[in-house]
Amino acid sequence: MGRPPITNKIRRYRFENGEMTQQQLAKRVGVTRQTINAIELGKYSPSLEVAFRIAAVFGLPLEEVFQYHGGEDEE
Amino acid sequence: MSFREKSAWISLVSILFVSGFYFLHVPWTLNPAFSPRLFRGLLYCIAALVVIEVVAHIVVAIRAPEDAKAPKDERERLIDLKAIRITHYIYVVGSLLAVSTIHLGANAIAIGYGVLFAFVVGEVVKNVVRIVGHRRGF
Repeated sequence: MGRPPITNKIRRYRFENGEMTQQQLAKRVGVTRQTINAIELGKYSPSLEVAFRIAAVFGLPLEEVFQYHGGEDEE
Repeated sequence: MSFREKSAWISLVSILFVSGFYFLHVPWTLNPAFSPRLFRGLLYCIAALVVIEVVAHIVVAIRAPEDAKAPKDERERLIDLKAIRITHYIYVVGSLLAVSTIHLGANAIAIGYGVLFAFVVGEVVKNVVRIVGHRRGF
């Protein structure tokens, strides 16, 4: 099984938000640092709730932080 | 390394150590006359396993108290569920295999130890799956 068809810009937005660390983001979202790392690297697709929480920390809409590429093959 | 991964390592090493010690001392004749002694040995090993796990977890928790106190998040819960699902099949298949040896003339003690062995294998696999899940991210 390949990587999930979801990419994200968490790393970019962390650095644009005062070089926020993974630990700081994890604490604000309510998950572990390892989970933020796994999401950032595309190894794990978070639940909708966690995705919304991450986007909320950056004050951005969900689709700005996460992008879904799964539908491209169906077109 | 996260607290959950350390916890899985502790469980894996302690169960391998204790069950390895125990099964190496199970007489292969499985003579019913040994039964009380084996049962006492089993109780000592379970007690040793509990003590090793508790002490090791306390030591790890003291070194990273915040990590240890934090509740499991969704990824950690999913890793655990994946490990438990695989372990469930090992328990079922292992137990059925152990029970089916009755047709090969196995006595009750041998069957009991077969079921116990399936339980140990299941626990080992569960912790290996947990470790792999934490190492790979999911």
